Amino acid sequence: MHLQESIYVALDTLWSHKLRSFLTLLGIIISIWTLVAVVSLVQGVNQYVGDKIARLGSNVVSVTQFSLQEMTDQKLFRQAQKRNTRITLAEYQYLHDHLQLASEVAASSRRTLGTNLKAGNHSMTDVTVAGVTSNSIKLASFDVLAGRFLTPTDESHSNPVAFIGADLATQLYPGVDPIGQTLNVDGHNFLVVGQASVQGNVFGQSQDSFVEIPLGIYRSLYGTSDSLNVQVQAPSAALMPAVTDEVRVLLRSIRHLRYQDPDTFGIIGADSLMSLWHQLTGVIAGVMVGVSFVFLVVGGIVIMNIMLAAVTERTREVGIRKALGARRADILSQFLVESAVLSSVGGALGIALAYGFTLLAGALTPLPFSLPWLAVLLAFAISTSVGLFFGIYPAQKAAKLDPIAALRAEA
Amino acid sequence: MSPPLPTSGLDPVPAATPPADDVVIQTVDLWKVYQMGSEQVAALRGVSIQIHRNEYVAIMGPSGSGKSTLMNLIGCLDSPTKGQYWLNHQLVSELDDDELARIRNHEIGFVFQTFNLLARATALHNVELPLIYAGAPAAQRAERALEALRKVDLVDRRLHRPNELSGGQRQRVAIARALINNPSILLADEPTGNLDSTTSNEIMALMDRLWDLGNTIVVVTHEPDIAEYAHRVIYIRDGQVARDEPTKRGRERAARTAPA
Repeated sequence: MHLQESIYVALDTLWSHKLRSFLTLLGIIISIWTLVAVVSLVQGVNQYVGDKIARLGSNVVSVTQFSLQEMTDQKLFRQAQKRNTRITLAEYQYLHDHLQLASEVAASSRRTLGTNLKAGNHSMTDVTVAGVTSNSIKLASFDVLAGRFLTPTDESHSNPVAFIGADLATQLYPGVDPIGQTLNVDGHNFLVVGQASVQGNVFGQSQDSFVEIPLGIYRSLYGTSDSLNVQVQAPSAALMPAVTDEVRVLLRSIRHLRYQDPDTFGIIGADSLMSLWHQLTGVIAGVMVGVSFVFLVVGGIVIMNIMLAAVTERTREVGIRKALGARRADILSQFLVESAVLSSVGGALGIALAYGFTLLAGALTPLPFSLPWLAVLLAFAISTSVGLFFGIYPAQKAAKLDPIAALRAEA
Repeated sequence: MSPPLPTSGLDPVPAATPPADDVVIQTVDLWKVYQMGSEQVAALRGVSIQIHRNEYVAIMGPSGSGKSTLMNLIGCLDSPTKGQYWLNHQLVSELDDDELARIRNHEIGFVFQTFNLLARATALHNVELPLIYAGAPAAQRAERALEALRKVDLVDRRLHRPNELSGGQRQRVAIARALINNPSILLADEPTGNLDSTTSNEIMALMDRLWDLGNTIVVVTHEPDIAEYAHRVIYIRDGQVARDEPTKRGRERAARTAPA
């Protein structure tokens, strides 16, 4: 009934004390800002990472020496180190020949640090050198831009041929068609037969700085002690669990593991990568949300304080309104609406700042930032509730004022 | 020396029947006792008065006489310790806070010495305020507020704020606000106390006009020449009615209306 009047009075008061209102609202503004910004940040990064992980290959699981859990938990890792054995070429061959459900099984081995590539006068270091089976192109996230990928013949004859990423083409062969050129990898010459399409960056890390050579040559160059990474592709997403199970059963059987023994290898899928990621970002988001709630409580107390001051300042007004027929409930709702409006304005400012922040972050980073509507609505609701809650006590104080004493108060 | 204080509200209240039709205000043995620390102080000691419809009454008395207390009770801003107060045939001495708020809204138009306008609201909005608490729809509010401002000749100042108006204009806004709900009584507390004599006369002339239009007016004042505008003066002293008599104007009017 008097909601419009109350909101009008609230906005008018807020506007007439701009600086005071702003200072009062700082706590709410900062807390809503961090809350919305963190949610949008986490969501943006999740989307980005999810997108990149999905691009690692659809419906693909990797068979590795250690599982993700073992790699991210020191205690588990130490236990696994004693138990897990590396994935051997024989095991790859066995999986390749015996997996019934999988549509493709490929193997690779790679190193990045310390590699040294030369072509003519140009050179690059720390390029990812990967030894791969020729069928790995079917699981790859890149396309063949020019030339060809490695063939089964290259594999069986151990031809010294190389398939290069886009970065190598531009840095080692500027202005020249790299196909047919010679590439020196750690002292050994290869013939460049194909070039990959551009994949871009993930977190500023180029995905185009690689060279792929036949797995056999790789193992003769760098030794056979590295564990292989076996990639298994399922025909469809629905068959992923079945394929994963089949891989586990086959590997356990050739490793002669008993029923109660734990796996001595790891199977990493896009979903396990994603869940690990969510675990990490969940912790960060949780801490930030906790911090912003502390701000929120502080902001609420500041609002309560300023509303108490407002009640004292406007005792005369309360007296006038009561004399003219305002009931307790009218005065109560007026001050409640006022503190709710005050804190919602703070919430709106916080949301606006968070929006500016996401725009800025979106412009400066490759992350796809957006302002999630649910978070915006929730933040607005939270800030309004804080105002309502911390406004109860001052509003009750105003509602209980004696009209005669209030009318006598200094204006 | 002075009559004894009532020991409690349990004292039998003199049986009072609802007042006659044209009686707007009737108080029966009205007491107001304040607790000052351990001491009880009686501000009113059994006031019984009657005011009829379309009367113009002044309440006078020195400070400390209890006239402010009486005004607060008549204005339903306070409840008596003992006694009955009938306002427009309703026994308001028994009502609670919220019911009193409703009575103030519907039955009483206040005019204060210090105007008591909301400083940040326009004249129009100030006049609308009682309608808001009466629950009138917004469109009707503005229309009725404009009508009330027309009665006090301030339509052209409707969008001015109090600090942009002269004292006399502010009091006229307050009078328009007091009239907006067609109250049973217009209750003015020292309405000219903050005004110069020319403006005072203007305000009192306006009061006369409102009386002519049929309003019941009660003016609380300590200025004899303001009281002279009324037709009847009730003198309060030591919490009791000391005298209750017609003024010169009241006698003239009685003589005019008396049968020849």
